[in-house]
Formats: sequence, C-alpha cells, structure tokens
Amino acid sequence: MTEIFAPRHIAAMVLALAAGFWLGAPRAHAEDVTLTVWSHEADEDAKVAFRELAARNLEKAHPGVHVKITWYEKNPLLAALKTALPAGQGPDVFYVEPDWTEYVEAGYLAPLDDLVDWSNIQDWARQVWVHNGKTYGLPQEAYTNELYYNKDLLKKLGFELPANAQFTQSQFLEIVKKAKAAGMTPIAQGVGDRPYPGAYIVGEALLRKLGKADYEKLFTGKLSFTDPRVVEVFKWTKELVDAGAYPKNFMTLKLGESHYYFYSKPLAVMLPMGSWYTGRAFVPVDKGGQPADFPLGIMQYPAMDGGACNQCKTSAIGASFGINAASKNKKIAAEFLNAMSTPEMGQKWIETIYLQTAVKAKVDNFTGPHAAYFTELMARQKGEDYFVGGPLDMVTGKCKDTFGQVMNAAFPGGLLSVDDTLKQMNAACFKG
Amino acid sequence: MDARRASLGTLALFLVPALLLYFGFIVYPVLRTFYNSVHTIGPQNVQKFVGLANFTELLTDDPVIWKAVGNTAIFTVIGTLVDVFGGLLLALCLFAGAPFARVLRLLWFTPVLMSYVVVGVIWVWIYDYDWGLANVILRAIGLGAYEQSWLGDPATALGSVMVTHIWKWLGFNMIIFLAALYALPTEVLGAAELDNCGWLAKLVYIVIPMLRPTIVNLLILSFIGKMMIFDLVWIMTAGGPLWSTETVSTYVYKRAFDWNTFDLGYPSAIAVLWFLIIMGFVTVITRLFRQREKLEF
Repeated sequence: MTEIFAPRHIAAMVLALAAGFWLGAPRAHAEDVTLTVWSHEADEDAKVAFRELAARNLEKAHPGVHVKITWYEKNPLLAALKTALPAGQGPDVFYVEPDWTEYVEAGYLAPLDDLVDWSNIQDWARQVWVHNGKTYGLPQEAYTNELYYNKDLLKKLGFELPANAQFTQSQFLEIVKKAKAAGMTPIAQGVGDRPYPGAYIVGEALLRKLGKADYEKLFTGKLSFTDPRVVEVFKWTKELVDAGAYPKNFMTLKLGESHYYFYSKPLAVMLPMGSWYTGRAFVPVDKGGQPADFPLGIMQYPAMDGGACNQCKTSAIGASFGINAASKNKKIAAEFLNAMSTPEMGQKWIETIYLQTAVKAKVDNFTGPHAAYFTELMARQKGEDYFVGGPLDMVTGKCKDTFGQVMNAAFPGGLLSVDDTLKQMNAACFKG
Repeated sequence: MDARRASLGTLALFLVPALLLYFGFIVYPVLRTFYNSVHTIGPQNVQKFVGLANFTELLTDDPVIWKAVGNTAIFTVIGTLVDVFGGLLLALCLFAGAPFARVLRLLWFTPVLMSYVVVGVIWVWIYDYDWGLANVILRAIGLGAYEQSWLGDPATALGSVMVTHIWKWLGFNMIIFLAALYALPTEVLGAAELDNCGWLAKLVYIVIPMLRPTIVNLLILSFIGKMMIFDLVWIMTAGGPLWSTETVSTYVYKRAFDWNTFDLGYPSAIAVLWFLIIMGFVTVITRLFRQREKLEF
C-alpha cells in the first residue's frame, strides 16, 4: 500500500497524465487565429443570426480564422467585462453602448480610426463614439424613440391621428382618460428589468418643452430640475399617472412582457419604445411575436404647450462593437467589424431586424413582410430634429441610479409627488 | 501500513493543489478587497492610496448605504427567527406524525432544491398585480380591497421578498431539525412519558434543550446567509422601488458594476465594513452560547 504512495510513483503518474493531455490536445496550425467576441442580445434571434452570419463570412474570406461569439444578456456581459478587462482576460471584440464611457476612459477600447473602414458608416453615428478626437466604437444599431399605438383601439376611443401624427399634450391626456374609462390600459410599460422605459414619456416631453440645448443641460447637471418648464412637464406627467396611464403591474412588468402586453394580452392603446421594438415583435407569434393582423401604428410623442422643439425626437445609437485595446488580433478584429458593416449587411439588418442602422444601406428598395411598417417608420422621421442620445447616455453614478429609481420607476409608478421627485433628481444630478 | 503516515513529499503533493486553490480563490480575494478598500482604482488599474477616505465617505455622505443596512438588518433579524423557528415547527409537526407526513416533507423540502433564479421568477409572477396568484386569491375570497402591487410598493416590497426567501429555506431547516429530532435519545423521551410528562412540557423541558446546539448552529448559518443576501433581491426587485429592498450586497454590486466606473475601491470599502460587522455579530452570538455548547459550523 505504501509503495503506491511513494513519491517516485506519484511523480510518474503525474508525468504520464501530463503527457496524455499534451498528446491528446488538438494541434493548432501556425496560421490559425481564434477571434473571441462577447455580444449582448442573446435573446434576439435575428441579431444572433446577423452577427453569426458576419462571423461565417469573415471565416470564409480568411481561411484559418475562427470567430467564437459568446452570447450574453446585458447585465452578465457587464459583470464579465468589468472583471475580465482589468485582469487582461477580455475578448478581442466586445459589445458596447455609447453610455459605457468608462471603457473609453479606462483605455480598454482601442481607437478604431485607422483600423476600420468608415466609408460605410453614417457620419453622425460615428460622432457618437468620438472622444477626444478618436473613435472608439463601431455603431451598428440606430434607433429612434417611438410611440407605437393600436390603430383599432384609438379609433374605438374616437380619436383620429392628426396629419402630422402628433397630438397636443391635452389631447394626449384625454386619450389616457378615455382609455381608462373604457377599461383599457392606456400605456403598456414596465420597469421590472430596465432602468429607463418608465421615463420615455416624461423624457420626450422634456426634450420638446426645453429644446435640445436645455435638455442636454438638464441631464448633465447644468440646469435645475426646479426650472419652471421642467416642473410643468412633470406636473403634466403626474396628471397622466394619476389618470391611470400605466398598468398596475408597472413596477414589475419586464420590457419583453410590456411588448406582449401591448399587442397580445391584455392589449394596450400605446407603447412608448425604441424602434428596436421590432426585435421582439416581429418574430413568430408562437415565439411571443405580435399577431400578423395586429393594427400597429406609430404616432409622434405629444407636442408640449409652448414647447421649444415639438419636432424634436430622440435618436440614438444602441448596439456597437469595440476592439479590446489589449487584443493581439486587432487587424482581424477590425475585419470582423467591417464584415458586419458592408452595405449588403446593412440591407440585411433592415430586412431581417426591421430596425434602423448606422450602416449606409439603401432603404428605398426595401421589401419584406413588414415593408409597410418600415415605410411608416420612415414617414415619422421626416422633418424631425434629432437629439442624439437618451438620458442614460448623459447621466452617471448617483444621478444614474436616482434616474433609474425615481424618474424611471417611482414617479411614473405613482409613488412620488412632483415635488419629491424633483427634489430627489436635483439632489442627485444638479451640479449648481 | 497506515496511509496517513505518508512522507512529507506525498502530503505536499496532495495538499498543495487544494491550498493553491484556497489561496487563489479565497485568501487572495479577501486580502485584495482589504487592499482595494484604502485605494481608488483608476483606469488601467492605476491605484492611488486614499487611506480611510472611502470609509469616511461611506459613513458620512452616502444615504443609500444606511437604507441598505436598515433593510439588511430587518431582513436578517426577522428572516432568521422565522426561518429557524418555522423550520422547527414544521419538523415537530412531521415528528409528531401528522397525516400525509411523507407528502408534506417532500412538498416543504422541494423549494430548497430550486435555484434562486427559478424561485425569484416564480414569485415575481405570484406577486404580479394583474395576473399574480396572490391577488387572484385575494379577489376570489372577497378580499380584493387588499390587492397590492406587492413588489412595486415600498411598504410591501421588502416583506414580500422575505416571504419568498423564507418559503425557500424553511424546508432546509425543517430537514436538519427532523434529523436532530430522530437522533434524540429515545430513553429520555420514554422516561418522560413514563413520568406522565405532557407534550408541551416534553417540548419545553426536554426536546428544545436537547436541540439547542442545532438551533444555535442554524441561527448562525441563517444569520450569515441573510446578512449577505443578494441573488433573490437582485432577481425580484434589484433593490427597488426607491431602494426599499436595497441590501448591502446589492448596493456593493451596483457601485462596482453599475456606476460607469472601474473603481473597486469604494465598493470594497463597503464589503470590508460589512465583513467586520458580520464578524462582530457572529463573535458575539458565539460567545453568548459557547459556555454551554460547542458550536459546529
């Protein structure tokens, strides 16, 4: 028995095991490169298929290159990146969003100016990623904040969309009241898993009331939340809340569930959402998509009385990709970004995801089962004055946390008065 | 020959891998957290010594941490007591030979086997205002006036999460108590019966005193677990609404990963302070009980 535990026997066993592992390991060719990519949006089949297609295209164009995409949901991705990057263990390419500025500041993103082919990317979209004269992210997804509605329900309530598709703030309040009186849910919205959807209505109202410059000042701490125009907007929003605009399960309803609530069960008159609505709605009904005959319409957010910019609208860049500054495969990583950004892939994005893109793609010859939807979406963009970026792109730290808890949830959830809301927002965000 | 008398080299060969893992994944992270707590970690891991500045800010200029401490304290005290003594009641119920004991044991223990994610998702649905079981039952029995947005109202959110947590862990405590009850010396219980000792007297003067080490161990384990509660809260409410379910652990996570910063200094300071508080409490509880019983946990 003791013999078995003799050091020389154990050493021999360890060596034999090590040799076995070494012999059994697949031999890599010198020219082989495995490009590692970490991406969010694991639950959006169309986006998964799009990025996997780009990966396979790159592999075909570069024999010996293998692209391994690891799919995450947003919070796990953030946690993984924030631990892996400081440890020097991050992937070559990773998903980023414009408000994740800490990755730029910390130097974890490589400047892409000389790496990526920018001729296929819209310049305004590229500008979102420019910090101190350098570009750190390749924008892929563009979107606008839209107000979707059920055409049949609106008609049933006796309202007709104005020619400019924009109701006044008092008409909008009237819609909410009538819908509630008719036993309908006026606005399907929930903040169960996101820190922003509850602030769509108040945020877009603030943009229209204040205009672009002051709106930006408000969320960058240069304008007080006690500004009379801001107070007016919050008071109007409070009227909506008190009229029962939001569902009773607003605080726990998740983003995906709010889509289903709007178009399937129990139905709602309106759904404020980014134009990436399509990612969840335009999937087969048995996968939770909207019914084929659903009477979907898009209206503008309401015009505010005395609004400085009632034609203003939030446009933003969502999904983007960056290259790890520590990556040893930057050139091939840039090739992957290019492979996702050709005009053909841009067209593919629109035709399969039904969403705007930062890639220069032709939209005039758009075809597909949802062509009518996309035509209406484009019609709602005409004559609009865009503010690029949402509140979450501008706030950080305590202000960001308070925005999520107060402006996104507690205020529209009916838990706070206007005064308390403004007081808390001001304390967290206004820099005086 | 006795294998335990192996040579030093052999012992080292078997111990070193485990020790390396222990130091790599337990000791180093703990020491690193202490180190981080007195530094700010800048871009590219640039560290700046700030002394006790993180602790000063934490104690003097952060209202959310006090809310988190309060919530965690409520969760810990109430949750621990209900968990342990509820588990004891269930175990006594089964030990006394309640009808359908086998089925009940299975039913009560099943939640223990479920992950926090599954439990959290199930209970978020149960608490849903419109279609959740809790409100459906209230409406069905004519108590519709009491229907609530259970997780959406600061007044009920923390209690609702606690109910879920207790539901998950009652069965665990029940099984431990049940095992302890079956291990009690039958001659003592038999002697009590011969002396015409009633069930209440038997419980108070014989059973509970003999279960004392088990009770103490479970109290401490439950206490430590609840002081560090994270998963369930994160899944069900993420600390909302209005920080009413924020716990120290969820706040540490938010400060570390949700605040657009790579600085782990401040969240490490919270973790260190909380570690010391837990250590303090555990030491006090252990000292309170150790005169009579040796604790095993």
